Amino acid sequence: MSIEIEAFTRVEGNGGAEVIIENGEVKDVKVKIFEGPRFFELLTLGRHYWDVPDLEARICAICYLSHSVASVLGIERAFGVKVPEEIMLLRELGLLGELIESHALHLYLLVAPDLFGYADAIRMASKHGEIVKEGLALKAFGNYLREVIGGREIHGINVKPGGFGRYPTIEELERMERQSEALLKLARRAVGIFAGQEYLGAKAEHYVAVNGYLYGDGLIADDGEHFDYFKCIEEKTLPYSFAKQSRYKGDVFMVGALPRVILKYEMLTPMARHLYEEYKEKLAQGYVSLNNLAQAIELVYALERTKEIARALLDKGFEGENVPIEPKEGEGIGYVEAPRGVLVHHYKIDEKGNIAYSNIITPTAFNHAIMELSLYEEAKKRYGSSDEMTFLQKLEETVRAFDPCISCSVHVVRL
Amino acid sequence: MMLKLGVFELTDCGGCALNILFLYEKLFDLLEFYEIKEFHMASSIKEHDTLDVAIVTGTVSTQRDLNLLHYARNHSNYLIALGTCATHGDVQASVEGKIREKLEKVYGTRANPMKALDSTPIVQHVAVDYALPGCPYDKDEIYQVLMNLAKGVEPPTKDYPVCVECKLNEYECVLIKRGIPCLGPITLGGCNAVCIKSQLGCIGCRGPLPKEANPASEFEILKELGYDEEYIRRKFKTFARGELRW
Ligand code: SF4
Ligand code: SF4
Repeated sequence: MSIEIEAFTRVEGNGGAEVIIENGEVKDVKVKIFEGPRFFELLTLGRHYWDVPDLEARICAICYLSHSVASVLGIERAFGVKVPEEIMLLRELGLLGELIESHALHLYLLVAPDLFGYADAIRMASKHGEIVKEGLALKAFGNYLREVIGGREIHGINVKPGGFGRYPTIEELERMERQSEALLKLARRAVGIFAGQEYLGAKAEHYVAVNGYLYGDGLIADDGEHFDYFKCIEEKTLPYSFAKQSRYKGDVFMVGALPRVILKYEMLTPMARHLYEEYKEKLAQGYVSLNNLAQAIELVYALERTKEIARALLDKGFEGENVPIEPKEGEGIGYVEAPRGVLVHHYKIDEKGNIAYSNIITPTAFNHAIMELSLYEEAKKRYGSSDEMTFLQKLEETVRAFDPCISCSVHVVRL
Repeated sequence: MMLKLGVFELTDCGGCALNILFLYEKLFDLLEFYEIKEFHMASSIKEHDTLDVAIVTGTVSTQRDLNLLHYARNHSNYLIALGTCATHGDVQASVEGKIREKLEKVYGTRANPMKALDSTPIVQHVAVDYALPGCPYDKDEIYQVLMNLAKGVEPPTKDYPVCVECKLNEYECVLIKRGIPCLGPITLGGCNAVCIKSQLGCIGCRGPLPKEANPASEFEILKELGYDEEYIRRKFKTFARGELRW
């Protein structure tokens, strides 16, 4: 016998799950990602490097800029191009905007209804309008950053290899500084709200993250090693899902906000770090639903860091000039922390500047295995003791904690 | 009388559904007229009901997508194909090769247990009442369309190229002045020429201009600028597939 979750709701994309019951016990859970495959790596093969970040952005709308930046970093590394610090800081502003937009959407519009007992944020708004509005204000600010840096709220093409199409103005940077300061108190409040969420799912045993806070040149894990993704991570395909599953040295692992704050707490900004210290023991429990508390702490981090970067750029001033690129044969990997975890773009480029090989691994694919394990543990714990409605509801909440981005996950390939 | 609205997402990046949430306060204005019966990205509620308006985003890329699309069509009075995935197929429909070959390349097997299909736009499968392209579409445009429908007015469609908006904004022409490949002349306007604002060429994300476009002359201009034919061909088909007479 089996119980089906036909389609997860309040998540991005299409997926479901099957809970297999044998002799009155939960035997297995399958997370089925049935969003159609999108073959992005095939799409980029043979295409000129300059156009590739704009195409890869279309993998996912919630984190389009993470895809553009990862793509640009991979391409620049393949050509051996180094851009000045100001360009990296501006890219970081875009990534911070994306983190704010995505976490605010997830926490306030998708998860908060569970905490307050509603089917969605629209229905929740009648009683808790303030909270929904605060979420929308944060989200709008995140989108403002994406618009200025990325060129549009969704699928802008302003992030280019070597720099930008258009650089932000002084006024825009000043607005970023001002608004991030003003929104900080909302984010602090979010930490309080999400600290009360119950423990759901498995306890993550291994964490993997990018070595820098939002971008880097390799991965790190809880054993402290610095590595390239293909060295320690294996992927396999499944007959029941368009997304693949990955293992770190053979083990199930997690990527996302929880792994980031735990592995990289030393890089957190002062207030975020303080909040991390406050909830450190709780976070160390490792339950996957704690990912939401970690996201709230990251909202604080992202706003503080935005303020810091905007101020630094205003003080120092910047050239606003792109680094010229001479195509040559090469190979490069871009590592970025998308809001929901590690994102890898790996390219080989030929001497004309056309893509000869490409491999992309997205956070939801990295998390696929622990998502399945989490549903299994949650189902085992609840089967027979909660009514079917609650049972299914809790399984959905468990999946939701990962903030899965299903559209992202369906084109994992190595060619 | 509240109108019943359903939002159905087939295979896509999620952007077109997400863009509805990016309407912010305007979304609450819409909710004065519409009751959301189904919108899986935003709500856990799913009421099987007949709908006044169904919005469908994404491409038909699996058998499940096709079934869902037929469900939406059969249960709605007025169906909007929203976004370039739905209207023209967008990037995933431009991936070349047959589905089994693609599955083999990516998943290492030609078996197709999950019934993947070659991606096609929804307009190829069902009659639609309104098609609004854009990757993503301009969110104010869908707001206007839904407001019009709430008032019982058939919404107008746009029919001018991106170039018009570029001129209105007084942006310097990147194609003629700087030799940057720009598809503005043959792409449907409505985005306010946002990419040209960044001094980048339009990549054609709103799909081809339905009438009066002159793809042949655009082709010639790009060739004269030194771009090879394969490059131009690929650029032309990125959002609108090969069969468009670009
Ligand atoms: S049209 Fe573009 S934004 Fe809309 S769903 Fe398709 S890929 Fe995403
Ligand atoms: S300028 Fe072109 S690519 Fe940019 S948004 Fe408009 S139609 Fe899309």
